[in-house]
Amino acid sequence: MREGLRMAVTLLIIGGVCGGLLSAVNSYTEPIIEERQQREFLEALEGFFPEVEEAEEKEINDQKYFIAYDAAGNEIGVVAQARASGYGDEPIRYDLAVDMEGEIVGIRVVSHTETPGIGDFIAEEEWQEQQIVGLTFDDEIAVDVDVDAISGATVTLRGIVSSIREEVDTIGMEFLGLEVEVVEIDPSAVDDGTYTGVGTGFADDIEVEVTVSGGEITDIEIISHDDTPDYFDQAAAEMPGRIIEAQSHDVEMVSGATASAEGIVEAVADALN
Amino acid sequence: MRTIAQEFSKGIFVENPVFRLLLGLCPVLAVSITAFNAFGMGIAATFVLLGSNIVVSAIKDFVPSRVRIPAFILIIATFVTIVDLTLNAFLPDLHEALGIFIPLIVVNCMIMGRAEAFARKNTIGRSIIDALGVGIGFTIALTVLGIVREILGAGTLFGFNIVGTAFEPMGLLASPPGAFIALGVLVALFNVMFKRLGIE
Repeated sequence: MREGLRMAVTLLIIGGVCGGLLSAVNSYTEPIIEERQQREFLEALEGFFPEVEEAEEKEINDQKYFIAYDAAGNEIGVVAQARASGYGDEPIRYDLAVDMEGEIVGIRVVSHTETPGIGDFIAEEEWQEQQIVGLTFDDEIAVDVDVDAISGATVTLRGIVSSIREEVDTIGMEFLGLEVEVVEIDPSAVDDGTYTGVGTGFADDIEVEVTVSGGEITDIEIISHDDTPDYFDQAAAEMPGRIIEAQSHDVEMVSGATASAEGIVEAVADALN
Repeated sequence: MRTIAQEFSKGIFVENPVFRLLLGLCPVLAVSITAFNAFGMGIAATFVLLGSNIVVSAIKDFVPSRVRIPAFILIIATFVTIVDLTLNAFLPDLHEALGIFIPLIVVNCMIMGRAEAFARKNTIGRSIIDALGVGIGFTIALTVLGIVREILGAGTLFGFNIVGTAFEPMGLLASPPGAFIALGVLVALFNVMFKRLGIE
């Protein structure tokens, strides 16, 4: 018994001393390491905004955002240190830079565990430049709409694109004062009659005529559109029926023709307002 | 009893951990792609070895023999973590290049071996000499392997191009199989050399 106690106490003392020593070393090196990581991040920040002079950190929902200022103290953009869940075990960690107009000016993948040769395109500059940079707050930012689908890498692509959409929304609403356009269809308070409305389809405006009777949508007619007929016709065949059935904007889109379908919903909402 | 000079030199020559005892090969093979990484790994391991040998030797009379292994591991792990944090703070490039192999120094059998076979039976002074000898032997072996692999595998030495553009680097030597081949050739050379010198 005494021997057992001695063993335990010896290990306890060694462990305590080791732990104390490590916490001392850590408290000395931690600020240095953090400062270096911050410096690396600032270098990346300079890549996004060449005229950046200073950055201010803000935390929203446990995630860090940095507001970049130029030498004159004007806000020039916001960078999110974001995470997306892809196919790999670890989240995709990336920085997303958005300027004051809500346009994505840069993306830098910090680390990821996506499958090499399949999902690692996200770290390639060519893909980033062609597919992501230049999208704005007002864009859809969705696979098949303004980001090309990549067969075989659906999970990775959808993961990062939907995360980018969320980040752009957060940055736009929290920092840039932009507002998400609410598309709402509620015919209950609309007088009987026929109304026309315009929405944005895949190519251009979609115009519709909506008939309301007794607080309900009874008919939706497409007046004009400029989308590819093959796709638009699929949306036009399904969407009016779905909206009339639901009497709401909360309807399923037509896969493969999402942009046209959403344009129709938007046009109907526009007609009723 | 060995003299101080013998105690020191045994780790470099007769009992060289890499070329003679084939100990601690995991980091040896993994990080010897370039001479600089290899040298850095050698210095890091030497520091841990020195620290653990001193402490193990200092507390050898207080630690009950039945818990000595966990005690040694705690001590070694502490020094490894110190190295890890220090490299991360001051030599981030080396820290990134060595990556997982820094924490893995904890289970490097060469360091555990010196604590178990030497430091716990000898004075602090002799343990320091032993750690320096073995550590330098380890560093030299790693660096030699790193030099061979970097010159032949990439055509550079410590990052400088030294063989000119006409030389076609042998990519094999930069890859893991190349590490085994290069190590095997070096071990064979050392064996021949020691035989010639009459050392067994």
